[in-house]
Amino acid sequence: MDNNFDRRDFLKVLGWGGAAVALSGCGNTSVEDGKETVVSYVEAADYVMPGISVYFNSTCAQCDAGCSITGRVREGRVLKLEGNPDSVINRGKMCGLGQAGVQHHYNPDRVREPLLRTGSSGETITWDKAYALIAEKLNGVSGDQIDFLTGTVSGHLKALLGNYLETLSSKNHYVYEAISPAVQRAANLKSYGMEMPRYSINKAKVVLSFGADFLGAWVSPVHFSQQYAEFRKGVDGQRGVLVQVESKMTLTGANADRWLVVRPGTEGILALGIINALGVAGLSLPANVSALVNAYDKERVSKDTGVSTENLVKLAAMLKERSPSLVLLGSAAEGYEHGSQNAAAINLLNQVLGNVGKTVEASASVPFPQIAPTIGNTAGARIVNNRLASGQTKVLFTYGVNPVFTTPAEMGFKDNMAKAGFKVAFAHYLDETALQADLVLPLDSALEDWGTQVAEYQPDGVQISVQQPLMEKLHPNTRGMGDILLALLKQRNPETYNAFDDYYAYLRTALLKNKPQFADSGADDDVFWNGLLGSGIINVSGNLNKLSDKMAVDINLPAPVEKDSKYPFNLIPSVSAHLRDGRHTNQPWLQESPDPLTTIVWDSWVEIHPKKAAELGIVEGDILQVESKSGSIKAQAYLFPGIHPDAVSIPLGRGHEAMGRYAKGYGVNPFHILNRVFDRETGELAMHETMVSISKVGKRVIVVKDEGAAGGHQDGRRIALSVTSDQVDLSEEV
Amino acid sequence: MKDINEDIAWAKINTDVLRSLESPRKLYWVIVFGALAVFSVAVGCEVYQYNMGMGVANMDNPHVWGLYIATFIFWIGMSHSGTLLSAILHLMHADWRKPIYRFAEAMTTFSLMTAGLFVMVHLGRLWQFYYSLPYPNDRSLWPNFQSPLLWDAMAIFTYLSSSVIFLFVGMIPDLAICRDHLHAGWRKKLYTVLALGWEGTDRQWRNFRVTYLTIACFLIPLAVSVHSIVASDFAMSQQPGWHVTSFPPYFVAGALYSGCAAIITLFIILRYTFKFEEYMTLAILKKTVRLTFAIAMVWTYLNAVEFASVWYSHDIASKEVLIQKATGPYAIAWWGMIFCGSVVPLILAFKRFQTNIPVLLVTSLLLNLGMWLERWMIVAPTFSHGIYPWTWDHDQWPSWVQWGMVFGSFGWFTLLFMVFCKVFPSVSMYEVKEMVYHRTLASKKLEDSGMQESGKGAH
Amino acid sequence: MSVTNLLENWAEFRHTHPVDDVPHDPYKWAMSIDMDTCTGCNACSVACYAENNLPVVGKDRYEHGQAMHWMRIERYWPEDGREFPDQGAQFLPMMCQQCEAAPCETVCPVGATNHTADGLNSQAYNRCIGSRYCSANCPFKVRYFNWYDYPTTENVWPAEMTMQLNPDITLRGKGVMEKCTFCVQRIRAGERSVKNEGRILRDGEVQTACQQVCPTNAITFGNLVDPDSRVHQQWKAQRVELTVDEQEKDKEEGGSDLRGYRILEELRPYPSVMYLERVRESAI
Ligand SMILES: Nc1nc2c(c(=O)[nH]1)N[C@H]1C(S)=C(S)[C@@H](COP(=O)(O)OP(=O)(O)OC[C@H]3O[C@@H](n4cnc5c(=O)[nH]c(N)nc54)[C@H](O)[C@@H]3O)O[C@H]1N2
Ligand code: SF4
Ligand code: SF4
Ligand code: SF4
Ligand code: SF4
Ligand code: SF4
Repeated sequence: MDNNFDRRDFLKVLGWGGAAVALSGCGNTSVEDGKETVVSYVEAADYVMPGISVYFNSTCAQCDAGCSITGRVREGRVLKLEGNPDSVINRGKMCGLGQAGVQHHYNPDRVREPLLRTGSSGETITWDKAYALIAEKLNGVSGDQIDFLTGTVSGHLKALLGNYLETLSSKNHYVYEAISPAVQRAANLKSYGMEMPRYSINKAKVVLSFGADFLGAWVSPVHFSQQYAEFRKGVDGQRGVLVQVESKMTLTGANADRWLVVRPGTEGILALGIINALGVAGLSLPANVSALVNAYDKERVSKDTGVSTENLVKLAAMLKERSPSLVLLGSAAEGYEHGSQNAAAINLLNQVLGNVGKTVEASASVPFPQIAPTIGNTAGARIVNNRLASGQTKVLFTYGVNPVFTTPAEMGFKDNMAKAGFKVAFAHYLDETALQADLVLPLDSALEDWGTQVAEYQPDGVQISVQQPLMEKLHPNTRGMGDILLALLKQRNPETYNAFDDYYAYLRTALLKNKPQFADSGADDDVFWNGLLGSGIINVSGNLNKLSDKMAVDINLPAPVEKDSKYPFNLIPSVSAHLRDGRHTNQPWLQESPDPLTTIVWDSWVEIHPKKAAELGIVEGDILQVESKSGSIKAQAYLFPGIHPDAVSIPLGRGHEAMGRYAKGYGVNPFHILNRVFDRETGELAMHETMVSISKVGKRVIVVKDEGAAGGHQDGRRIALSVTSDQVDLSEEV
Repeated sequence: MKDINEDIAWAKINTDVLRSLESPRKLYWVIVFGALAVFSVAVGCEVYQYNMGMGVANMDNPHVWGLYIATFIFWIGMSHSGTLLSAILHLMHADWRKPIYRFAEAMTTFSLMTAGLFVMVHLGRLWQFYYSLPYPNDRSLWPNFQSPLLWDAMAIFTYLSSSVIFLFVGMIPDLAICRDHLHAGWRKKLYTVLALGWEGTDRQWRNFRVTYLTIACFLIPLAVSVHSIVASDFAMSQQPGWHVTSFPPYFVAGALYSGCAAIITLFIILRYTFKFEEYMTLAILKKTVRLTFAIAMVWTYLNAVEFASVWYSHDIASKEVLIQKATGPYAIAWWGMIFCGSVVPLILAFKRFQTNIPVLLVTSLLLNLGMWLERWMIVAPTFSHGIYPWTWDHDQWPSWVQWGMVFGSFGWFTLLFMVFCKVFPSVSMYEVKEMVYHRTLASKKLEDSGMQESGKGAH
Repeated sequence: MSVTNLLENWAEFRHTHPVDDVPHDPYKWAMSIDMDTCTGCNACSVACYAENNLPVVGKDRYEHGQAMHWMRIERYWPEDGREFPDQGAQFLPMMCQQCEAAPCETVCPVGATNHTADGLNSQAYNRCIGSRYCSANCPFKVRYFNWYDYPTTENVWPAEMTMQLNPDITLRGKGVMEKCTFCVQRIRAGERSVKNEGRILRDGEVQTACQQVCPTNAITFGNLVDPDSRVHQQWKAQRVELTVDEQEKDKEEGGSDLRGYRILEELRPYPSVMYLERVRESAI
């Protein structure tokens, strides 16, 4: 490699800004120049030995939790994904969504060739043409007119993307996640001094969760599930108690010792009410906190939230008695106009209970800022949408997002997209957004591609998860995102980037440069590299963030809203661990994996409380029209006891109009009827602020679900048994 | 009323019966082609099901059995008619059975063949059905002798082969008559072979009687065992609504019941179609009707016994199944079974209906509908409301494929039956002759002793 | 069943399991499932699809009750008539209980489902004729029948999807019964690999796919006759015995502090899966 560029540039190129690395030459070998040898198949490498399975570590890309996985590979094809036991995040375990990663890879509906739209039809083009087209379209467009809308990115891909944006002189990288605890991050930053501290469920004796579905779809579910198992086994021999407060039962709520149904939006009031009750119970409160919660006596709070005074007092007593506890804050509490206020109140409860430093602990920050994750939020899509609407964006690149599907229809993202002159979608499938693009560039699957991933939630130090291909590409004309960025960078800055044949070479060079950070610097490069690929993980200690415990008392909670007679129900768009925002709906295992609470498969439904349903004459399977200010959808009714009678809930993730045979045409998309209401402080979409009306349309269907006609009752048989904690002695158990 | 006209000349008996082999009424052909059409529905359904898989029958997990098994039991039940008339009444010297036992025996054979078909179409891998047979193979791979289903397979095969032999042996003298009276052609060749050189010598008659009696004796326990074994398919299981100790006698009673009802139906049809009014007399019909009534009451009693024993047992699951039968999605079928099986037969208690052909035709069909419903109500409700509540399933309903196959089976049965009646004498000539002869003798004796013929108590 | 068995051991034949004089040697595979840690997440169920080539039947087939999930997560609601299920739901992972005296085995006409020496309820696909009697008699209803030809006419593995299939197990065609096997292919592979070393499998060397994935470690699988195995220790701690039909827990007057039980034990199938009761806090 030529040494004609300076060291700082190089570090930036490789994404290791902030780390001290030395630099030396490196070369690429090939069979032609004799530096590599061809080994005959007489001595086959073990990974091509017929009938012998081999295991390679990589990283699960099904969500951003960063679980390290082990792929079982036989005869050169990946068969099954298993958890990597050495990973501190998932310790050998996985979730169902992660398991389905192979169905993302082998999905028959993947895009296989670069596609160019010409008028209303499309044609297949070559990559060279595609790259040339991009160069052509970027010509004469100023950096400010080029937008990148991506999902959460981290690792070297993020570094390359940053570099590419820089060559375009664009600062417009917007990171969008439709479902993201962004309000919480802001609140955490204020309360704890960091966006994502470490939560130690396993060290808590009581966990009070305000709608945080940590066993389902929240932050790092596999990790938290493991903590939860330890928590159930007990701290000091005392089994942990889980209390869940929410308006619609989540998977976590379904596992609670006490599930408290709360009037939607009053979570903050309840938190302050608990603080008040703690004070009454004798916990000493700082004066300013005391003043804040003074007005939140149990009667008022009970009236506002619907939680009985008895439960309030009991809960406060338990929290006071069993310490440390842990208060968690989930999307249900965040999703309002006053979401930030709710979050602040809930965090305050944690602080009052003295949990900060005990079960809320400092997390480590990633020592290499360029590869640290950039976390998405809903604001990302909102900004791009506004820019598109006002014509500021001329060229739009999308990667890992599907805003046409996941934004409220009222925002008009689809129509606004048309205003940009040239839209490029880097995509695995022709999803709703890719269908609007002018150029669709087919990506390698996560199991074919190289990469590094750094999860936002880091349980212990910082784990950089290495992603390596588990098999050869299925389709010759797909490309890795890293390779595409590299090719685009070569267009703009050939001197620097021509040195890298491909993203693999880039990655290897970059990681080797940093060898001293991870290993004995004297170690042989190949040994180091192979070790790294073998373990699939790079652990670095990172710098511990400084935990602060600043009790903010400038909390201003609105009184619960009166019911609107036109739209009397709160719409709760629920997030399932398997379908999330709908990007995995085309994985058939997930479509057919029953929703844990309703056991429904392959379709959407409207959850309604049986009492309310009886009032309205609704029975299971009735098709209901759910109408908000911004639109309406129709779905089958499911009578569900775990929901506030004034709320209805529809799961997110289904209702695709594209994305292939397994996704298209199944269910409805509640994203589209969400009102455009935003959290006052952060500007995040207030997902739970949509009010709806429901009406029967006079049609009834059979609800396709696993639950039989007994509706989840055991009919007096001894099947699934339950005892109370005073009846058992867990300490003797194995 | 006399069972038979004692003045019929023997030659006339021959002519009348042999005529049935040649020129039946037009209705015969209508029935044959109708049956063929009905049967082809079943063939179509089976071809479709064979190619697609059992799913097209719309069964599910756990509702794995449906109409096929119910109809299988139904046809096995039907098969008891022949054995009852030929073997049991033969041993009881009830000679009024003579003009009608032949077709009843044929019914036995053909309903067994129909029942067998249902076992076949029910199998998920029909093409491997022979795995269930105990044939010797060099891997010593035997079927599971503990499975009631295997007993079924063996019992049915035994019963079927015995019935065929019984039917055949009983026909030998008649086959000889056919041989001697028909012109040359394929039929004559057939009868020549089948008649086994029957000349009617004393020795032949003596051997014939012994053989016939022996097979009859053999057949009776077989008939009882076959339906007891079918009952065991259920009674030996662990499922609520099935593991009922009284099932074997209950099944046998049900079998005789449906068999009798079917005899009435076929009696009426054959009597008309083959112009057998003189042989299949109303007096005989009346006796059959009375027998049917008696069996109906036995069946009703056993039903009550079953309900009572379930009701007073402590088996909650079984009790729930019973309640579900009466109130759940199958309630119509279940009450239909009670109505057809226990209420409708009360008609038969009235003398004036005992010889009323239209009433009897309708009644006998209703009785069999009731018996078919009984079998369905044994099979299905247990699946939709079993021990394990999570899998309760109330939406399972047989698809048109299942219904088509049930419907088609009647075509198959009728076809076989009609072909049989056309090829073989469906009224036993030699036995009718015997009957006429014996009755003449008996009447003579009465006259000699100066008593008036009363029409009653001749036997 | 051989003729010898028929003639000589008729009375004994189905009694051999479970009795003490025919010890499971060296293996008796068993499980325990802790319902206090199981969260109902369904990861195990998906893992079973991945490991065992289970077909995704699609919405229509599912509607007709023809799903093929060997592992199903049942969700129960409390039955005390409260307005809200304020102690949550209860989840029960349910799959073949590998009964020692399996009601499904006795009724199979062709002996396609059998008991193995290491205590599994095996299913020989090629022998099965599809009579479905086994399913009719399974108290747990965990047998799944191939109502359609999923690999061919139903095309549930289109195009590249076939490449995911586990070559260690067959694809089942139409008309065959199937069910959870305790991942027998993993057990057999494990046994083969240690045979070369002249030893038997140690605890943890073979994991079932559901156990392996379970994020809360709710599923324990292992060799019940190995005193070092976790499953053995759990059964022992709960005083659950394989060969009896009423456990200590149920005999104790006024309740017991044990949690282990087997489902539908009173029917005497002698299941090989012990469940641990869910616990709910009494103080709140
Ligand atoms: N013309 C010709 N002849 C060939 C060959 C060829 O290519 N062409 N190939 C040769 C080769 S390679 C082979 S391996 C042989 C195969 O020849 P065979 O070993 O005879 O194989 P099959 O006929 O497939 O199966 C044997 C029988 O096993 C029974 N069976 C089914 N399931 C089971 C079970 O679970 N247990 C037991 N015990 N039996 C069961 C069935 O009744 C089946 O008919 O044929 C050889 N013969
Ligand atoms: S939590 Fe996310 S990263 Fe971990 S296994 Fe599940 S999908 Fe994969
Ligand atoms: S994976 Fe574990 S926690 Fe999840 S449902 Fe299965 S057994 Fe329960
Ligand atoms: S659970 Fe059912 S399928 Fe499994 S062994 Fe027991 S009876 Fe057989
Ligand atoms: S379905 Fe197969 S395994 Fe089950 S009883 Fe019938 S032949 Fe045996
Ligand atoms: S043990 Fe194996 S086959 Fe059985 S449920 Fe678990 S993963 Fe499926």
